[in-house]
Amino acid sequence: MDFNDPMLALSSWIGQIGDFGLGLLWRFIHIVVTLCHIVSGIFEAVESYAISLGLIQKYSSIDIEKLKCLAVVVDIEAARDVSKVVELLEWLTTIGVKQVGLFDSQGLLKKSKDMILEMVPRSVLLQETGEKDTSGIALEFISSSDNKEAVVKAANILFQKYLKSRHPGKDEEGENVFTESHLNEALRVVGESVHVPDLLLVYGPVRSHLGFPAWRLRYTEIVHMGSLKYMRYGSLLKAIHKFTGVRQNYGKSFILHHYISNTRSIHTLYRLKLLSLD
Amino acid sequence: MPKHVAIILDGNRRWANKRGLRVSEGHEAGARRLLEHVMDCFAMGINTISLFAFSTENWGRPDGEVNFLMAMFEKNFKSEMAYYDRYKVKISVIGRRTNMPESLLGLIQEVEEATKSYKEKHLIMAIDYSGRFDILQACKSLAEKTKNGLIQVEDIDERMIDKELMTSCSEYPNPDLLIRTSGEQRISNFFLWQSAYTELYFPNVLWPDFGEAEYLKALTWYQQRQRRFGRRV
Repeated sequence: MDFNDPMLALSSWIGQIGDFGLGLLWRFIHIVVTLCHIVSGIFEAVESYAISLGLIQKYSSIDIEKLKCLAVVVDIEAARDVSKVVELLEWLTTIGVKQVGLFDSQGLLKKSKDMILEMVPRSVLLQETGEKDTSGIALEFISSSDNKEAVVKAANILFQKYLKSRHPGKDEEGENVFTESHLNEALRVVGESVHVPDLLLVYGPVRSHLGFPAWRLRYTEIVHMGSLKYMRYGSLLKAIHKFTGVRQNYGKSFILHHYISNTRSIHTLYRLKLLSLD
Repeated sequence: MPKHVAIILDGNRRWANKRGLRVSEGHEAGARRLLEHVMDCFAMGINTISLFAFSTENWGRPDGEVNFLMAMFEKNFKSEMAYYDRYKVKISVIGRRTNMPESLLGLIQEVEEATKSYKEKHLIMAIDYSGRFDILQACKSLAEKTKNGLIQVEDIDERMIDKELMTSCSEYPNPDLLIRTSGEQRISNFFLWQSAYTELYFPNVLWPDFGEAEYLKALTWYQQRQRRFGRRV
């Protein structure tokens, strides 16, 4: 009888038990993490409700001047519900946000642009305002075609310049063709905005920017807000408040920021709005 | 499991400040964590790890800190060469190389050459990397190919740009999961083009404290996400 056969069988059996044990352990870890997420989700919901009611003092004023450009990424499923998008924009108007870029990968919001502009009071297309300050909210509608496809179109302009140039890598004036400023300019020529959002709010199940124009995302704060269907005013306020408290070093040494004090009582405005809807 | 995990190693300086240590000690603690983390990742079956070790914007830091970091990269490449060889880890360094010290450049070339045949595990170190520069150099590379008659301008599309990006050295150029430690919620000019459908995870833990437990949390979080790559469910 070969002594090795039972030993092989035993080691295989031990290996299988070990694998099974590790699998169980991994599932246990998943359960623990899921429970933590559930508890954290409940806490966030309660906190959001408290913020909406003005019970948490620190959220009662926001230095909105720091938020020049906000972008909102919406999952394509959520983008089909324009009413929720309109509600979100109304909240943002209440808070005092002046410029919002609305993105969904398929361009559904672009197709509903006219409806949204009609439904959101004092809203205008960003392209129509130029750099002028408006009393309402300037909206930009963005989709995936404004991302990589747009960069390819803009790059084509640079390619043409490069091919016509006598100097390798440079244009007629001897300047390097492939620079950030040249690509910015080329993007403007093909009709794209190069505004870099300060804050990007992602509404959807996935914590990803879902193809928002890559060129514009360099230093953008990205916050996942959860489902648009179950969005909460308190969570929105918290995200914006947290952004206004963020200090960016841009990779360099620490720089002191001086905030322009232009706060307003957000809760007063929100309550007035709720009263006006009754 | 994700095939490609990208990490922005943030928080070394804050970690040092919290403990009353020098910034250099924070970076050294970060470097130790780096090797441990890489070993953990590969052990869990991740194929590609990208580390954002030094951004183009970091050149704006004090000279002393920058010089220290360059020396530290050199020291780590030398000390870890045997590990990479033993565990068959392919090393690629992406980023601009024009400002790097000559000695570091030479070492990078040596490590890349020595490990280029390995396929199962790939470690990409982004040093002097900028996502915008990556896109621009891809465009420039395509322009040169056009000028040399290798391709036509009309044929240039997104996929061609994908192939010219610095991450084209990887079998999995687009990260599945991007982790930025220290609680900051930005990608700071890292993998701008490549991260369209990347899951973004921003734990509130400084990089030197990002241990195995934190990494397991990130992976379980990733596994619970539903990724649709922009399509309908």
